[in-house]
Amino acid sequence: MSGDHSDATIAQRVRRLETLLEEKGVLSGAQLDETIDAYLSGASPANGARVVARAWTDPDYRSRLLADGTAAVRELGFMEGSYQRLRVVENTPGTHNVIVCTLCSCYPLRLLGPSPSWYKSEAYRSRVVREPRAVLAEFGLDLRAGTEITVWDSSAETRYMVLPCRPEGTQGLGEEQLAALVTRNALIGTAAV
Amino acid sequence: MARINDVGGTEGFGAVDITEDPEPFHADWEARVMGLVNALGAKGIFNTNEFRDAIESMPPREYLSTSYYERWFHAVCVLLERKGVLEPGELDEPGELDG
Amino acid sequence: MSWNRVSSMNRVSSMAEDRFPPGTRVRTFRHDPPHHTRLPRYARGKRGVVVEPEGPAELADVSALGDGHAPVEQIYAVRFDARDLWGEGDHHVVLDLWESYLEEDRADER
Repeated sequence: MSGDHSDATIAQRVRRLETLLEEKGVLSGAQLDETIDAYLSGASPANGARVVARAWTDPDYRSRLLADGTAAVRELGFMEGSYQRLRVVENTPGTHNVIVCTLCSCYPLRLLGPSPSWYKSEAYRSRVVREPRAVLAEFGLDLRAGTEITVWDSSAETRYMVLPCRPEGTQGLGEEQLAALVTRNALIGTAAV
Repeated sequence: MARINDVGGTEGFGAVDITEDPEPFHADWEARVMGLVNALGAKGIFNTNEFRDAIESMPPREYLSTSYYERWFHAVCVLLERKGVLEPGELDEPGELDG
Repeated sequence: MSWNRVSSMNRVSSMAEDRFPPGTRVRTFRHDPPHHTRLPRYARGKRGVVVEPEGPAELADVSALGDGHAPVEQIYAVRFDARDLWGEGDHHVVLDLWESYLEEDRADER
């Protein structure tokens, strides 16, 4: 392996591996297709946004979500059958949370969908634990001076999701309209809502 | 010794390129590799920590010059050889199905 | 003691959920282990405070060997001051760390 594989070369090697695995009876093409389809269909930031909108509108749900994220998102049908735990960390006017995995790329896939390239980049992973304020500013998020920042480095079996602050002037909105305001980056902590 | 994946606090990687990806995968083979890793893991051929270990054990120069899913593909091939599912070099042999 | 794979793998774990209750001051393992680990270099030999236990899981260091004999240990969320990690900064970093990455940081040893 080296970095100068052209896309065509590596695509050919991947196809060859698939063929070998099928011939050996290890993995069928159908099983592989199923895995990919399940990955693409089940995971979306709309799931995390729904959880947030519920927490914004239902104080009891919010309490349950912060106490035991895994159980609370299962109430809405998410993360069933996952061995991972979920911890939801809440932003307040004076505190801000942001998620990273410095060692690899751990990410709450089922609630946030496929992770963006920047989340997996060495630049983000190396810097956000060291200088979060500067990194957040590059995302256009300028936090008020004095805001306490906590960086959650996902180093084990827990996955993290941020519960952003509910924006002002949204009192009249229903759960669906609120969910539409919540972006993936807000769930990672690199944006506000 | 620390491994090359352990980058928290390392200087020199520059600004974060926050450009959004048009699609979750840049090419179809990336999706196939993601599927292979997940499906083989689900079958118990290797566990998550073995998989991470195989990525982290890449020589630093190689790690830094390969893309995310190239690393995944490297790791899955290393593990399949280690587990005896693939013979050493088997993937490199020109197979009749390649034509 | 020479620090090698065997001594690293034999770190003691109690598997007690309450070995480090929330608020306990802890210090992390100092060594660069010669194998896979989930304690990043930047947090080795550092002082932190336990937030709470995160539940048990197989110790990643041994699980990576793939022989099915990894001990199950409690994982703790541990909060670190940026100043203790980097010598500067006013933020906090939280890591999820297996029990055998940690020892109690007793005041009389400081």
